[in-house]
Amino acid sequence: MFPYEQASWDVVDGAMFQLWGTSMPGFFTFAAMVICVLVLVVGQRSETEKAKRFD
Amino acid sequence: MEEQLAELAAKIAELEAAAGGAAVTNTMFAETFYYLTIPLMIIIHAGFLAYEMGASRLKNVLSSGVKNILAFAFMIPTFYFFGWWVYWGFPTGFPGDPGPAGISGIEYANAIALGWGDSAQYMGPNIADQASGVFFGAFALFAATTASIMSGAVIERIQTVGFIILAVVLGSFAWVVAAAWGWHADGWMVTQWGVHDFGAAGLVHAVAGFFALGVLINLGPRIGKFNADGTANHIAGHNMPLTVTGLMLIIVGFFGFLMACVIVPGEGWSWFADKPSTIYGTPITLSALAFNILMAVAGGIIGAWVITRDPFWMMSGALAGIISTASGLDIYFPALTFIIAFSAGLILKFCADWLEKRGIDDAVGAVTVHGTIGLYGVIMLGVWGSGFPALQGAAGDAPTISLIGQIIGAVVFFLCGFVPGYVVSYILKMFGMLRVREGAEIAGMDAVKVPAEGYPEWGANAPNAAE
Repeated sequence: MFPYEQASWDVVDGAMFQLWGTSMPGFFTFAAMVICVLVLVVGQRSETEKAKRFD
Repeated sequence: MEEQLAELAAKIAELEAAAGGAAVTNTMFAETFYYLTIPLMIIIHAGFLAYEMGASRLKNVLSSGVKNILAFAFMIPTFYFFGWWVYWGFPTGFPGDPGPAGISGIEYANAIALGWGDSAQYMGPNIADQASGVFFGAFALFAATTASIMSGAVIERIQTVGFIILAVVLGSFAWVVAAAWGWHADGWMVTQWGVHDFGAAGLVHAVAGFFALGVLINLGPRIGKFNADGTANHIAGHNMPLTVTGLMLIIVGFFGFLMACVIVPGEGWSWFADKPSTIYGTPITLSALAFNILMAVAGGIIGAWVITRDPFWMMSGALAGIISTASGLDIYFPALTFIIAFSAGLILKFCADWLEKRGIDDAVGAVTVHGTIGLYGVIMLGVWGSGFPALQGAAGDAPTISLIGQIIGAVVFFLCGFVPGYVVSYILKMFGMLRVREGAEIAGMDAVKVPAEGYPEWGANAPNAAE
């Protein structure tokens, strides 16, 4: 979605990424943070699991 | 009064001198900007070289390198002879009519991109033209990148001359046609369908990836890759650290590749006087690239780590991260870039395995990383970037990015790669110029093609040398 009322590059004078002006950028940032944390949790569990096989 | 007039005249002269100086500075900056993208993109080639050599078994390590180096060497002159001309000649399609922006068509290409006649003034040293050479150089390195992408997929069994012919067809023709159609302000895919592919996910990566697939179908797998029941064996390269380092070098070079996709401001050929733009004339900043490329690299690595834990696939994930977001690096929000790249990292290995189960021996995963993920990136922009004017100006005057337009773009990019790759490799196969003889493949291509040894102290006792 173009972030300005008029779909024209002539009116763009600032942020120009998609969905600017909505809550979506914040949602994406939150989702990216959650992905990072989840990946670390999953990674820790599976690595511990594999390491136990060498006990 | 006379004194005031003289003072005014002096001030005007001073301002004119300053403006002239600023113009010279800007021209020099513009020339330097593109000039520096060339060595940065050569780093991509260095990366592919290391990547391929590391992925080869010891008996093939140097022949893989020779092939890659020769691809680079043949790409530059052939792109000079006709690739550059194709880019300017056919944006509106065949037979090469001029487009609305006035910078395309056979006549225009004949005037600026041939190495003979009046046109030759723009194809050599010219103090009045500080742009043509650096633009040519940047595009020639895009061409070399396409050849390198194909090069890795076909290692350990392709003939050298056959490979070079394929590299020339890909690098100086196939991707250039795709670029003329989808990466030019007069390109018919842009003006009619709003196709947007800022960072060349489709027109470089997908074209090269699917060209490689067309070649692989005719080339066949390496001896020992598949068992009689169709199951695949993993053929490990001789040096994983070299491969992973090569992949990291490719990432470094990508900053130059994507920098070269930016049109600097303030020149006669610029879209804007005061801000940089994409090749389509839409605004962009290098800051946008910094945010998004870095987030894409990170997302791709993390996604691939979750699935594989393998450094080869993690660094391939970094590439996939960039390629999956390259079409929209100018307009994506960085956190969304991370999420798309993460998803590309997640699906990467599954896509490669799917291809392998169909009997395709892609030694480095090039079809998947560049082809499949390239098309994924083109279509993702249709999902997330619809509604943006695809060219300079307003929607209505300019087409907008849309999902259907991006899907059409993806289909055309696929065909631009796969069809010439399949047809030309089929012809080479008919003439016995595609694959090396079985005995030579078993002995190792270094023994056949290269009068040097990769690791001379190891000699014939090297691990896996005689496999």
